[in-house]
Amino acid sequence: MIAQEKTALDAALLRAHAIDDRAALVELYQRAADLAGGSAAAFYLTHAYIFALELGAAAAPTLRARLVDMGAELPAV
Amino acid sequence: MADDIRFSGLEDVQAPIERAHGLPNSHYTDPATIAVENRAVLETTWAGLAVGADVPAVGDAKPITLLGQPLLLLRDDNGQVRVFQNICRHRGMILVSEPRKIEGAIRCPYHSWCYAKDGRLVATPHVGGPGQNAHPGIDRATLGLVEVRSHIWRDVVFVNLSGDAAPFEEIHADLIQRWAEFEQPMYHGGADSTFQLEVATNWKLAVENYCESYHLPWVHPGLNSYSRLEDHYHIEQPGRYSGQGTYVYRQLKDEAGTTFPDFPGLSAHWDTGAEYVALYPNVLLGVHRDHAYAILLEPVAHDRTREHVHLYYPTETTDPVLRDRNTHQWKDVFIEDIFVVEGMQRGRAAPGFDGGRFSPAMDGPTHCFHAWVASRVAAMAAG
Repeated sequence: MIAQEKTALDAALLRAHAIDDRAALVELYQRAADLAGGSAAAFYLTHAYIFALELGAAAAPTLRARLVDMGAELPAV
Repeated sequence: MADDIRFSGLEDVQAPIERAHGLPNSHYTDPATIAVENRAVLETTWAGLAVGADVPAVGDAKPITLLGQPLLLLRDDNGQVRVFQNICRHRGMILVSEPRKIEGAIRCPYHSWCYAKDGRLVATPHVGGPGQNAHPGIDRATLGLVEVRSHIWRDVVFVNLSGDAAPFEEIHADLIQRWAEFEQPMYHGGADSTFQLEVATNWKLAVENYCESYHLPWVHPGLNSYSRLEDHYHIEQPGRYSGQGTYVYRQLKDEAGTTFPDFPGLSAHWDTGAEYVALYPNVLLGVHRDHAYAILLEPVAHDRTREHVHLYYPTETTDPVLRDRNTHQWKDVFIEDIFVVEGMQRGRAAPGFDGGRFSPAMDGPTHCFHAWVASRVAAMAAG
């Protein structure tokens, strides 16, 4: 089931990248982080955060806070 | 070519107008000479880059190349227009390739380092390895975008690329004072009040032509009916600006006799007065009781110039039909000048041309510009 979900997520991510749908990328990379867990979560969450930051999306501070909690990002100054 | 040969003849340019020659051919045709000249007159001064109206809203960003340097014009979250080097501090990648709105941060398209609109480096994804977005060796506080010194006057964004010129208000105090009555709000007319002209000439020839009224009856015969040569006067401020003024400016009217509103509070001089000034190096300005304009001369190559024309009005809203007519009236005038500035450029291929002689009575403002260029180049060549 998880493998199927990952495959579908992979395809959705590729589609979102292909059409440069950054709002979708924020959502999809968060899901990828949640699915991956462990150290890989920070990798995917970083992508969600970066696209949120670029968009000025409301989710950006929350995503940053999650990364800070993981030790993957500096606390906001 | 040795510098003493390349820059010979500049004393003749700076001589009194009765004896002076114009700038030598090499200042229009030789890229090596022009590279030194660019440093002397465009990089170490306050050169016109753009207008604030190019980035009217917060987050608007426009990449601009000046003398080959990639710059980014940006209106930050406080509404302030800023100029940065348009490159990432990581690998020097161009950050913004087309004019666009920056919603949140500027993300480098290469490795996604992100910058706030005030230039701060705010994210460095995976810089410490996968999923690790910080590294002790990368101090974000020292890696913000490199800001280029800029100053805005009459909506023109001036830049000092070398970073060491005296303050703009100090250098141009004379013109600021001369036009103090126009130091009041003015509004860009919008999309119908801007246009560009591509001209096959060195940018200096556009300045030289703009400065003087001598050519008006020959090149702009349409002006003869009401604006005769004797109705004009010279404006000369050595080392700063030069141009011409008229005593007989006539307002544009529509069929019903309606004109644009006036800038409030002007003295009687401006009832029929108007002035046209080349602010050295590359900005051409015009002021009238009811509108103003700025022309930015973009030096594209030694023999190519892009003229960016912008018209401004005293009120935020004006009659679009009259505004369009005004734009076209000026465009027609500026187009009439193209054949002479292109012809003078082609003429600089004649070997041995001595730079030409000036009319002592009529070419003062043009000589004033030549002398300024020559003095700056000579000083730079002398080290």
